[in-house]
Amino acid sequence: MAVTFSDVTYSFPRQERPAIADASAEISAGAFTLLAGPSAGGKSTFLRLCNGLAPQFHGGKLSGSASVMGREPSRVPARDMARVAGLVFQEPEAQGIADTVDDEIAFGMEQQGIPRAEMRARLERLLAQLGLEHLRERRLSTLSGGERQRVAIAAVLALEPPILLLDEPTSQLDPEAAIEVIAAVEQLQRERSLTVLVAEHRLERLLPVADQVLEIAGGMVRQLTPGEAAATLLNAPPVSRLCRALGIQPVPLDVAGGLAAIEATPGLRTRIRVLQPETPAPGDELLAVAGMTVSYDDKRVLSNANLTVRQGEIIALTGANGSGKTTLMRAICGLISSAAGDVRFRQAPAPEGTAARTNFAAMVPQDPAIALYRDTVADELRESLRLRKLPATSTDVRRVLDRWRIVELADRHPRDLSVGQQQRVAIAAMLAHEPPTWLLDEPTRGADLATKTWLAERFREHAATGGAVVVSTHDMESAAQYATRAVGLVAGEMAFDLPARQAFGACGPRPTQVARLVPGALTPFEVTLT
Amino acid sequence: MHSYAWMAWVTTVMVVALTTTNPLYLVLVLLGVILVGVVAPKDGIGTAGLKAMATFGVIMLLLAVLVATINGTYGSHVLFTIPGPRFPEWLGGLRLGGPVTLESFAAAIIRALAAFSVFLAFAVFSAAVSVQKLVREAPAAVFHLGLVITIGLSLLPASIEDLRRIREMQALRGAPTRFRQVPGLVVPAVIGGLERSMRLAEAMEARGVASQETQPTRQMRLAALIPAPLILAGMWLWFYAVEWRILAGVMFAMAVASLVLWGRLAKQQGRRTRLRDEPLPMLDRLLAIGSLSVAISVFVARQMGAFGLNYNPFADLPVPGFTPIGAALMVCCAWPAFVILLLPTTAPEPARTVAEEVEPAWR
Repeated sequence: MAVTFSDVTYSFPRQERPAIADASAEISAGAFTLLAGPSAGGKSTFLRLCNGLAPQFHGGKLSGSASVMGREPSRVPARDMARVAGLVFQEPEAQGIADTVDDEIAFGMEQQGIPRAEMRARLERLLAQLGLEHLRERRLSTLSGGERQRVAIAAVLALEPPILLLDEPTSQLDPEAAIEVIAAVEQLQRERSLTVLVAEHRLERLLPVADQVLEIAGGMVRQLTPGEAAATLLNAPPVSRLCRALGIQPVPLDVAGGLAAIEATPGLRTRIRVLQPETPAPGDELLAVAGMTVSYDDKRVLSNANLTVRQGEIIALTGANGSGKTTLMRAICGLISSAAGDVRFRQAPAPEGTAARTNFAAMVPQDPAIALYRDTVADELRESLRLRKLPATSTDVRRVLDRWRIVELADRHPRDLSVGQQQRVAIAAMLAHEPPTWLLDEPTRGADLATKTWLAERFREHAATGGAVVVSTHDMESAAQYATRAVGLVAGEMAFDLPARQAFGACGPRPTQVARLVPGALTPFEVTLT
Repeated sequence: MHSYAWMAWVTTVMVVALTTTNPLYLVLVLLGVILVGVVAPKDGIGTAGLKAMATFGVIMLLLAVLVATINGTYGSHVLFTIPGPRFPEWLGGLRLGGPVTLESFAAAIIRALAAFSVFLAFAVFSAAVSVQKLVREAPAAVFHLGLVITIGLSLLPASIEDLRRIREMQALRGAPTRFRQVPGLVVPAVIGGLERSMRLAEAMEARGVASQETQPTRQMRLAALIPAPLILAGMWLWFYAVEWRILAGVMFAMAVASLVLWGRLAKQQGRRTRLRDEPLPMLDRLLAIGSLSVAISVFVARQMGAFGLNYNPFADLPVPGFTPIGAALMVCCAWPAFVILLLPTTAPEPARTVAEEVEPAWR
């Protein structure tokens, strides 16, 4: 066995509840293991227990026994465990140490005292295996997200650990970059017989290649086969959830498997009915952007963008990292003084100044939780109302808590909340003044199913009451559940602006899994049997 | 420029700025540091926050001047008087308010100029030198020091970057972008910066930084222990037994020698390799030695009362002294700028590809 956990319980310092509780698991050498489960469920902690960073770097209490390639990770110094189990962190930019690609890959080897000739051989091999040869001298700061993540994987594999640990390696990446990274990992696993453990929220790309699944929720670990995971997990791939609903056994893991299963079940195709939800006609114009152009240091990042947002619309703004989605939202809110173009609110010129503009079109940036600084959630919301010069009595705060379904968090300290709860509180704080237009920048990035569902409900409620929402996202499967329209940006230019049903449909530019299986449907909820 | 040369420069600025109290010279030092900051390469971890750090430094400078001016009550050139009570002597004699003098204002400016020069020099240093290079230079035996350096150098830029993001979020939340909003945001910004620095340190440990560390030998422990008592004794002799200054100098030299020995032993103990050699060029070596010589010269000159380095505003606000040699020593603090501007060949060469490197025949 590559990894064996036996009744392992681990608590972070000053935390009563264990992050991992009585965990037992066995992972065989060369296996591809997927770690699934909600945010703050213990996936990252499990990975850190495998390479000794928990408890050696983080402190805390550990009981039970763990063995990783025959070593006890809590007893071998974590920096020596790097040769046994290499960990790639969630944010590529947070782990870069050197300036250039080859220096970054060589850094760990230099620290381990590996002879230069061997270092060069490994470097060349890794550059070739991960398709990084053309980037060898490039500065890390000039790489795309996918390229940086592949460099991070190469840097960890340079020490030739038999185990590779990946903590949500694709959560920050656009779909194309995520596919690149997963393909590279899959190839490495095959070629090197690596034992791979990947923690991830979105399972549709990884479940088909996994040998087993560890479901980690509330610190509890449950070992499943991929088929069991597809049949039981709430956040199983959409195709698996659809086939579950259609009664197909065993539950397929990918679209090809789903298609084959449907065709192989006599009469099933004819019994499938698509329940397309009614999309109400958009109302009056709330926001219009015309000819928006933004350049940084002579580099054009947004070119002549036009967008009209009407009441009742939920618009998914899609595009690769760096395509201009965030820039467009920032320009609308008046955060980019050099932006050229017109912004109109309800057909009148938008006022000057961010505070005035966000009264009407409020933006929730990425990682909004870093702005939380009050002692309680209720105080945060009171502060938001006060900043907008709105009544901020206990009743007013209570109303906001009710509307955002976070009443139970009112007296908690924002820093003590889970990641998902922090995200909800931060979004509520940024939108507490009920602006008609919401602009959210990748709010589902790294979010678990519960947070995504909560967000989708809030979007629909807001749209139903005459508001509008613009959401930038890489998560098409989630976007298909709430969006009424989809806009695509490519290299700063508008590539398409289509109704969501067309954009996420089988022939659209961003087809969902379900659309490829059942033409006319976008999500599992739209399919039923007669 | 080699990271050793940058370390020599930042040490020189620190010694010179904290040694001289002549405001004219301090202005020269500060201008020199600013010049270096403008032309220096931006490769390090502090690049993103360099501008914000400079702004932060200016704000701290102004605040320090304000507080120190109000608190200082010595001097005869009274600018104005702040009404306030004075506690009896038996309660410590603390005075709130009182006369604000030109002398206390000048003394505050001098202290703030020195502190700002050092702060800015460290900001430029952290922007010019990459973490990887610093960690490479740190002996494996001081692995924890390497982590501390990383956290220390990345904390302030990371916090300032977070402060910028939080201010932007506050603006999106409808908060006025006034300066008085900033203090309330400092704590979350520092927490955010600390979290980022810790993530980097964690990534370094996960990458096996200093995994060759072994227990220090007895020789190493001795070599590490000896310098502290030697320096303390030497300083006591230097300041309180002037006739024994030669012995004090010998003690300082012994302390430095002991540190060098410790460094060598530590280097031998940690078996680390390099993908490519980064020799310390002769020019950089000479510049580093020259830079440290300037620092020592300024320190000695101050002790000897030479070149007008010492200035006391409370002695009836004399005109600060100014000599060409003193000014030249201060201008020397800008040497990296001259090197970068005048000798472009010393700029960092693009990294050679591994394939281009040829093994020496003897290896």
